[in-house]
Amino acid sequence: VSSHREAPEIAQDPVADNADVFAFVSPDKPGTVTIISNFVPLQGPAGGPNFYSFGDDVLYSIYIDNDGDAQPEIEYQFSFSTSIRNPNTFLYNTGPITSIDSANWNNRQFYSVTRIDAGPAKGSPGQGGPAWGRGPQHSTVLGKNLACPPCNIGPASTPNYDTVLGPAAVHSLTTGESVFCGQRADPFYVDLGAVFDLADLRPFRNLHLVGKTLFSDPAPGVNGTNNLNIHTIAIQVPITNLTAKGSSSGVLGIWSGASRRKVRLLGDRKNGHAESGPWVQVSRLGNPLFNEVIVPLGQKDEWNAGNPVDDSEYLPHVQHPELAGLLPVLYPGVFPNLDALNKSGAARADLAAILLTGIPSGIIPGFQNFTGSTNADMLRLNVGIPPSSSPNILGVVGGDLAGFPNGRRVFDDIVAIELRAIAGVTYSLIKPSFTPDAAAGQLTDGLTPASVSTPYLNVFPYVGVPYDGWDHPSM
Amino acid sequence: MTTINRLSFLKATGVAAGTAAIASSPALAAAVEPGPVETEPSGPVAKEPIIAVIRDPAGFEITVLSGTTEKTYTDKLLVNRLLKAAGRNHTVKRQGVA
Repeated sequence: VSSHREAPEIAQDPVADNADVFAFVSPDKPGTVTIISNFVPLQGPAGGPNFYSFGDDVLYSIYIDNDGDAQPEIEYQFSFSTSIRNPNTFLYNTGPITSIDSANWNNRQFYSVTRIDAGPAKGSPGQGGPAWGRGPQHSTVLGKNLACPPCNIGPASTPNYDTVLGPAAVHSLTTGESVFCGQRADPFYVDLGAVFDLADLRPFRNLHLVGKTLFSDPAPGVNGTNNLNIHTIAIQVPITNLTAKGSSSGVLGIWSGASRRKVRLLGDRKNGHAESGPWVQVSRLGNPLFNEVIVPLGQKDEWNAGNPVDDSEYLPHVQHPELAGLLPVLYPGVFPNLDALNKSGAARADLAAILLTGIPSGIIPGFQNFTGSTNADMLRLNVGIPPSSSPNILGVVGGDLAGFPNGRRVFDDIVAIELRAIAGVTYSLIKPSFTPDAAAGQLTDGLTPASVSTPYLNVFPYVGVPYDGWDHPSM
Repeated sequence: MTTINRLSFLKATGVAAGTAAIASSPALAAAVEPGPVETEPSGPVAKEPIIAVIRDPAGFEITVLSGTTEKTYTDKLLVNRLLKAAGRNHTVKRQGVA
């Protein structure tokens, strides 16, 4: 998936599994940036009685680099705490949950938001997450005891979810930010069944090495994440609170992570386990599909524990991606120009720019999101590009400069964009003499935002209302 | 009020000096200090316990985790005492003992 279960260790730890990161200039509030980081992927909506939640023992971090050094100048930390009203019942709720403070809601979760800034303490000394270097940091608690919404159980338990329970969980902070943390419909769409069945994309299955022995015609894609939920951490921040020196322009490097304490002692406390030691990062995410598709299996766990500033280690995998070599093999005769490019041994500088440095000015008219020569996997958002009035889900590849890889919107067609880029569509940007294969510009898993059953929202937090268990008892 | 005369002062300083000498000699300390006594835990561990990890028994290297800090020391006496507490049958090479 984008980064759902993408590495061996984190696949065993869904509460800390960072599945997607989005960052965009808010379409309805263009003076702000919205950053969304999703966790706890692939939730069946009917997963009771212990419905899904964030980890009370996990530190969730959103990092922002605003000076191009691939290290954070700003971090937003989210820490959660579960509160059970009545431990003597097995029920998540003992009646309809009609408000976010309903007495019928038994298993609630609250959180705090803390901002960490680089530099000597102006307020309280603070301790940033594992991505920080040794420089001084200071912290400001922006909000405490903020309520998450309940999971969407069904019309008897969680009526009016879209109009009451969801909106009630959007909190406006006195420092200018809005935050939301809780269950949502997974906004990412991908034909998982086809992608991991030897990349036998249904619209091209009759051209696939194996698929053509089974099928004689194309078929539409099937969204593998449809009707599944996820847990969203979303924050909307005034642009001037994020950029260097409070500017209204600039390029932000954005990624997120999840960390656990280094040591945990199990089973020695009646009311929880004991923990000690520094926070250790167990999951991170910048660009979608980076760890999933670019990083080889033996390095995925190490990548999750690492930081963007050290990503030059992965540059060879970006310059010579495994998938680029597979496409001509899996689709014989369909990608002759890509095959020749692969065999030439040329480094894919286009992919390195998109994923590791940002795109310099002079490549795409009117656009750049270059952050410097440091190879670092971060989403790069040029906040000076206004939201598009008619968005193209293919983003920059589709001529829409407000979409991926200029940050990432919830509806961007990441699978098609990255497939096409890897197949060579973007290589001609840096080498005009290269002609991409005709099929490269058509690659898709056959899905669009319409493949997501619940609609995206036009307002914060933009991710759709979660599927309820009554109407979606099985996937 | 207790009266301190020269004799009591000498006795006191003599004991103190002797204790200091023993403490500065690991071999003597090991011989004098009582060994670990196995007992039943008196209660649950603290929510954030201090945890020591012997990284390298041969090099007497020990890492101590406390709160969100982690520091590594070389401490022959402490490592030997923990190894003793870990039991005679514990296989100790370079894999570390927590």
